[in-house]
Amino acid sequence: MTALLIAIGVICAINVVLTLLLLLAEATIANYGSCTVTVNGEKRLTVEGGRSLLASLKQEQIFIPSACGGRGSCGLCKVVVLDGAGPLLPTELPWLSPEEQRTQVRLACQVKVKRDLQIRIPEELLSVRQYRTVVSGLVDLTHDIKQVTLKLIEPQEITFTAGQYIQFEVPPYALTDEPVYRAYSVSSSSAQKDSVELEIRYVPNGICTTYVHQHLKVGDTVVINGPYGEFRLSDTDREMICIAGGSGMAPIKSILLDMERVRNPRKCRYFFGARARRDLFLLDEMRKLEQTLPDFRFIPSLSRPEEGDAWEGERGLVTEVVSRHVDDASHAEAYLCGSPLMIDACVKILREKGMLEEHIFYDKFS
Amino acid sequence: MESLGFFAIFFSAVFTNNILLTNYLGMCSFLGCSRELKTSFGLGAAVIFVMAATSVLNWLVYTYVLVPLNLDYLRFIVFIVVIAAFTQLVEMIIERVSEALYLSLGLFLPLIAVNCAILGASLFMVIRQYTFWQTFGYGLGAGVGWGLAILAMAGIRQRLAQRSRVPAGLEGPGIALIIAGTMALAFMGFNGMVSLN
Amino acid sequence: MKQSVRDDQIQEQMRPGVITRDGMLGADRRKVRDILEADDAAVRRLGLTHARIAARMRELRDAGAAGLGQAIDVLDHFEVRVDSARGGLPCPFMHEGLFGKEFVEVLNRRSGERLTFTALNVHMIGTHGFYEGEGAFFRQDPQVLARVLELLPEGSVPAAQKGP
Repeated sequence: MTALLIAIGVICAINVVLTLLLLLAEATIANYGSCTVTVNGEKRLTVEGGRSLLASLKQEQIFIPSACGGRGSCGLCKVVVLDGAGPLLPTELPWLSPEEQRTQVRLACQVKVKRDLQIRIPEELLSVRQYRTVVSGLVDLTHDIKQVTLKLIEPQEITFTAGQYIQFEVPPYALTDEPVYRAYSVSSSSAQKDSVELEIRYVPNGICTTYVHQHLKVGDTVVINGPYGEFRLSDTDREMICIAGGSGMAPIKSILLDMERVRNPRKCRYFFGARARRDLFLLDEMRKLEQTLPDFRFIPSLSRPEEGDAWEGERGLVTEVVSRHVDDASHAEAYLCGSPLMIDACVKILREKGMLEEHIFYDKFS
Repeated sequence: MESLGFFAIFFSAVFTNNILLTNYLGMCSFLGCSRELKTSFGLGAAVIFVMAATSVLNWLVYTYVLVPLNLDYLRFIVFIVVIAAFTQLVEMIIERVSEALYLSLGLFLPLIAVNCAILGASLFMVIRQYTFWQTFGYGLGAGVGWGLAILAMAGIRQRLAQRSRVPAGLEGPGIALIIAGTMALAFMGFNGMVSLN
Repeated sequence: MKQSVRDDQIQEQMRPGVITRDGMLGADRRKVRDILEADDAAVRRLGLTHARIAARMRELRDAGAAGLGQAIDVLDHFEVRVDSARGGLPCPFMHEGLFGKEFVEVLNRRSGERLTFTALNVHMIGTHGFYEGEGAFFRQDPQVLARVLELLPEGSVPAAQKGP
């Protein structure tokens, strides 16, 4: 019996000693102390070493765009690290072109902060914030588009320009076990600072859209960050041709609401292409804008109206409709929001009508 | 054997009784991680450190704790625990010093803990009743021998990949084992120079 | 079969919630390497190559793109609809480039069979020979692709099983 107890005691003692040694090692070897990250040559941040650059910056309220939440599977979190990063890691190589490797572009989620760093990021990212919000409205606009209204809790106000987008954090749910981020344009007016409205269309096998359409409820907390994006109304008098269908309406609607608020007199035509009547939504809002804006017309068109639709409006693909309505586009500007296919087809038509590429603006996420 | 000194044991552990090519221990990471010279060098260095350190540590634990208390039957468990703890330590050090190496070694770094060559070295030390310095010589030598073997293998495989056409069915483990066998045959030429038993 | 560290990382990318909601492996418990080998063998047995299958998928997609989201008749007896959502997805094989979320629905009027594939499917098949795991949301079985997209002369591929 004593022999057994001695045996157990010895094993336990050895285990304890080794564990203590490892804890000591972890506290010293794996401990990187605090490091200074200098952003754009001016902003100095003191962060705890040992974490990824992406996570450390996030802690300091600087949000580098990322779709995968830092797992190295999207390649979006590129930053320029001028000094202090160490050699390129095998997990970064697949995402960086030779040009980028030469100019010291790194993936923020893979670079570990082990010593002082000097980095360079686009200026506008410095004004991006993270917001905790609560779902205050969930409306079905069509069979596959939901309008989500998020009321800001903390901070309570957001400042953005109409046309910009925010990143929506999808928490782990069902089969997923890590957060993921997806970008959506804000469709509410920029004057409304205490809430943001999004239009989210269901995508088969989509991580975020499944969450929004099947799991999200009024009262749920949602974390967003932003604003991002350079798509916005230009500061000119040119006539506007807007082309956006489905959830592409979001940034256009935000821009129109801003125009309404300041009574912008610019001539504006918005071509909304859909398949059948059930894909149309917010018609009342658009009709109202036609009344309140000095020179705005909303022109919906159906490419395949169904039997019971009783459609008297424009028919055909949106490119055909634009072609019919527009003769000379050389004095106009275009604002396009939609799939690359639609945008390419529209750019082609507009150029045929005399519009220059520099006057064509499109919202591209991908 | 009492008569063999540190250098004799070291030399024979590297060449004549190479733990990998003669005793065929530690084949798993040897086959899996020997494609590139750089990673093999890193892994070899890690194994040398772990093997030398753990065989000495295990000798100390065995001689001063297990034997006096009549617990030498516990040596398997205790040796493995010491090896596992040490491997963790090595992981932390490598992650600190060179993250690129840490990532390219990937799974094979924690797998050092279950590398049977390392446990084998400690067990041989017990079977052959080595003294402290003999143990150190053997552990270091076995590690160096293993590292040498994996470097040679990586060099050969890199060369083969560039210049030869390996038949499709033999790619990967097939050709690696053939190479290992040929290397073992070559090392048999050292036989008889020093005997460790 | 044990696969390399990189293959393990790739397999991680294919898990649910990493790139897509249900992931790309479905109920398949095999390693990625094994899935690739099995489908490679299946494709070779059909007398095809990954490149040919991907090219045919691209052909149908390009023909259907003119519909701008509406179904149109292409290539004699196919009906194709190309729809897309905004955003881009990375390839699980971990290299540069984001692939648009484009969905191609193909109806073969002659046989009455339908299938749907994505832009990422076309890339993964053509460049990596990956058809997704058994039971995955967008699994493209090589035999089904060959039959519905008519990649061989009639009669060379087993006819569709009758069933529910």
